[in-house]
Amino acid sequence: MQEFIEHLKKGEFRMPTCTSCGGKAWPPSHRCPYCLSKTSLKKIGTTGILLEFTSSHIKGKEGIFGLVEMSGIKLVGSFGTGHLKEGMKVRMKECGVGSDGTAFYYFMPTKA
Amino acid sequence: MRRVAISSWATSKFAKDSGMSLLELACEPCAEILKNGVSGKEIDAVLFSSCATDQYSSTIISEMLGMRPKVSHRIDNLCNSGTNAVTSAFAMIASGLCDSALIIGAEKADSPGNKLLWDITRGSFMFPVHWAAIFAKAHMRKHGTTEEQMARVSVKNHKNAARNPQALFKKEVTLNEVMNSKKIADPIKLLDCSAPCDGASAVLLVSEGKAKKLDNPVWIKGIGQQTNSASFANATGDLTTIEAAKRAARYAFEMSRTNPSHIDVAELHDAFTILEILAYEDLGFSKKGEGGRFVDQHEIAINPRGGIIGCGHPIGTTGVAQVAEVASQLAGKAGRRQVNGCKVGLVHNLAAAGSSATVIIMGA
Ligand SMILES: [Zn+2]
Repeated sequence: MQEFIEHLKKGEFRMPTCTSCGGKAWPPSHRCPYCLSKTSLKKIGTTGILLEFTSSHIKGKEGIFGLVEMSGIKLVGSFGTGHLKEGMKVRMKECGVGSDGTAFYYFMPTKA
Repeated sequence: MRRVAISSWATSKFAKDSGMSLLELACEPCAEILKNGVSGKEIDAVLFSSCATDQYSSTIISEMLGMRPKVSHRIDNLCNSGTNAVTSAFAMIASGLCDSALIIGAEKADSPGNKLLWDITRGSFMFPVHWAAIFAKAHMRKHGTTEEQMARVSVKNHKNAARNPQALFKKEVTLNEVMNSKKIADPIKLLDCSAPCDGASAVLLVSEGKAKKLDNPVWIKGIGQQTNSASFANATGDLTTIEAAKRAARYAFEMSRTNPSHIDVAELHDAFTILEILAYEDLGFSKKGEGGRFVDQHEIAINPRGGIIGCGHPIGTTGVAQVAEVASQLAGKAGRRQVNGCKVGLVHNLAAAGSSATVIIMGA
């Protein structure tokens, strides 16, 4: 969904949300997967739970990453070093499209 | 519904670079089948399994092989393509639309199917090894599975591949070599991973009427397929189970009126060692959480051709090559790697983070 990408490029995470039932179209889509009505972009809460995390050692893709559940959706977030634990609360600090053309969602633990 | 049998199969030698184009590669196993008593005129359908986007490929291959089938088209469903092609061919023959279908899988090492760029839920960690590492971490944390148990899957499958002349890897590896191989995405190491390569495989499916002429037909007893999502985010609820595979297995066991205890030989999707461990549990071979310990069992011959880890992973070819292996085992024609006395076999295949899965049960 191009509109989602355009916002992401500006560092904004905007969820395609159903104009009829309020369902979230994730991965981004122009139609709601629950009732097939059109979606429009909405701001959503970006605090979530870290379900599982690990680290990548592939050249050019080094770093800590983990699966986050946030406002009813799941996505793979990037993390800096820090004390992470499964089940902890995390918040999206930054998002965008990297120089290699892939999306990134950067998370940090919330303060206790 | 008419019964469907597998009458012939062939697999080319997998290689890092075959020196052949995709379409040339695709012709190789077919030539072997067609030169051994099968006439191209008898083939009603050609289904080409590949993630390569070459135009009109199935039809070009048909022409290259001198065939004029009724039906000819390409099937793409990432790593699950080959088994998906078997599902389609089965349905065409069972329904009476066709009496025979040649399924061809072919892929080049640099296939566009090696990475699913569409899946924006993966963030900047797009490689298959990244979702596999998440599954592995979760299984270790929740069920106590160890890196050594995963490494033993690699040792076993490399050992089997050493007896398979078609396999990409011909060398056995030790537990220490796997454990000390380069870290890719924790806890997954280089020797826990499969490698893309050039490879082709073909199987011929025929109707019951045509199968009567065969000495030892191998029957397709049941097929289960399930598509849960395309994205990693929506593929699974519990990160220790491939939900689509569990469902596909249930359908296949129901259709074939068998259960896990009937299976003598199986080809399981082991693109990463953790996936074979998940498969033990999802298929009901082991109890939930005990997959790690199941690696050392001897009841079922698992991945006798060397699996994906030992053979290499030309993704559109894999499902076809798995079916070819189990057919040759059940027909007693697997040569040096023949599993003695096997009667019921199973193929398990996955795509993209286990978002879709196919299970096929075959019997003599
Ligand atoms: Zn809706």
